[in-house]
Amino acid sequence: MEERPLTQAPSSLYDLFPSHFSLLVSGPPGVGKFEWIAGLARAYLERGERVVFVTLDMHPREVRERARAVGLDLGKYEGTGFLFVDSYSATASEKPEDAGGKKVYSVASYSNLEGLGMAISKAAVDLKPPIRVVFYTISTLFLHNPPAAIGKFFQIVTNRVKTNIGFIAYAVHEGVHDPLTMNLLRSLVDGVVELRFNDAMDREVRAHHLRGISLKSEWRPFAGGMA
Amino acid sequence: MTDHTATGIQILDDKLGGGFTRPAAILLFSDHPSEKRLFAEQFVITGVRAGERCLYVDFFRAPQLARRELTKFGAFDERLAVFVDATSAQLLIPSTERYAIHEMGDLDHIMDTVERAIRETKPARVVVDSMEFLADRFPKDAVFRRWRQLLEVGKQEGATVSYLFLNWTYGQTEVERIEDMSDYVVEFQSRMRTGVLQHFLRIRHSGGEGVQTNWIPYTFKELVGLTVYFPRILVTGPFNAGKSTVVRALCKDTVSVDRLGTTVAFDYGNIEVMGLEAEVFGTPGQERFDFVFQIFAREVNGILLVIDGTRAEDLVRAKQIRELAGRNVPTVVLANNADLPGQLSPDEIRSRLDLGAEVPVVRTIATEGQGITEALRLLAEMILGLR
Repeated sequence: MEERPLTQAPSSLYDLFPSHFSLLVSGPPGVGKFEWIAGLARAYLERGERVVFVTLDMHPREVRERARAVGLDLGKYEGTGFLFVDSYSATASEKPEDAGGKKVYSVASYSNLEGLGMAISKAAVDLKPPIRVVFYTISTLFLHNPPAAIGKFFQIVTNRVKTNIGFIAYAVHEGVHDPLTMNLLRSLVDGVVELRFNDAMDREVRAHHLRGISLKSEWRPFAGGMA
Repeated sequence: MTDHTATGIQILDDKLGGGFTRPAAILLFSDHPSEKRLFAEQFVITGVRAGERCLYVDFFRAPQLARRELTKFGAFDERLAVFVDATSAQLLIPSTERYAIHEMGDLDHIMDTVERAIRETKPARVVVDSMEFLADRFPKDAVFRRWRQLLEVGKQEGATVSYLFLNWTYGQTEVERIEDMSDYVVEFQSRMRTGVLQHFLRIRHSGGEGVQTNWIPYTFKELVGLTVYFPRILVTGPFNAGKSTVVRALCKDTVSVDRLGTTVAFDYGNIEVMGLEAEVFGTPGQERFDFVFQIFAREVNGILLVIDGTRAEDLVRAKQIRELAGRNVPTVVLANNADLPGQLSPDEIRSRLDLGAEVPVVRTIATEGQGITEALRLLAEMILGLR
């Protein structure tokens, strides 16, 4: 396969991923994983694909607000092309998300990995596969579950998504997990996208080890979601 | 007092002689995420509706949320559903329950609280949702020791104790140890096929009765509960045997795609009886429609093969149809028109159709609905592995 140059417009990186694929998006906290993932969701929604957003770190309300900041109006798609799996609200003992009658799949506990797995499947069935799933973040699960349980959960969900649902991108915080855990997660996905700050504190992105995709894995400037 | 605890799934309870024995230890197991919690919830609601006190130990939901979610089964007497709150402490919020776990890192405190709740409330049924919460967080030996003790307390107090367990972290040996502690092992599975989620359960082990089942497909309906669900029952047979009449006799509402009274595409109907739900498809009998048949014959749960019990000449075609569908698909033969003179003998039907001993032949009068429900029940039991 011919090597495709990676330009700095994120949308071209988004175009790389086949409909059935799994991806780990890693980087230190604050580097812009959310922006990158929101940009990914935006690219897919704008071309008519369906997206499930699994939120463990933020209230759906906050996801909507922050998505708007990168030019993505989720309200336009919610219910038809977009659904939340909300594992944040109930756990943060906030009122479960009520999106004005819009359907949200909620999971009441970070420890309920089974419920989380089923909620992803149900949301996918609702939107009709193939769909794109974004998971923000897998790191949060590690605060509440033993690594061995998450390892198996991660493997099962990734397989289920790739076989029956489509695409999944998991965000993971760099520098908070031990190297063994990171290696395990990397080994279970088809590819990795990394984000970092360079010495000048500018943000950079690179994709590497994309299974079946030939790509020069060099660091490129990451301008944020405003592609 | 009954010595059984019904599951609320009629066909299963019938075979179990009324439900799980009481007392008993019941493992609700899955190796992957599944919908087994619905089964556990229904188990509690069925008990509450029978006037039994039930104890629900919930590690994943605060009791106020659990109570709200249980109303998906309809109204129930909340006083009979007692909760052990094992969630509020995880969320760092105060609990208003009589039984609450305050220190989530202390296995003895957790198990002592559950045991105290069992001793004090003397429930008929206990659900622990779920055992993996403990298995994933505490040393194996301590978990096993306390689990045995919990089951012992349950037995002393006459409770049927069920526990959900999704195996995230244990090896095969530990799973077998848990199975050995259990009087029943019910296994669950959720699969995604062609964009649809399908749920299955099976009884893999039961101490007393020795009942085992095939994978039973089930679905959940708001305010109804768990229903055994067959997405595809085929009603088929030679031309003019009475297939459409059978579909109409089985189903309240049917749709028929026909021309001058002969089915040219298919009949369709939906059944809800005996805690069973099924989609029923009647196929045309003429050979020129075999292509339709082959479309419907894919992934069928079972077949009602309708023949005219007075027409020996049709049986060649009937045998051909059965072979087209596959001989290992559960099948019941309906010898229809049992009210007409000139009935073929059962032996003749069996030998002409080359039926094995496992295939029942039921005499029916479809126009009067006679024998139809019996045939369906037999078919359901064959599919579920209860025969």
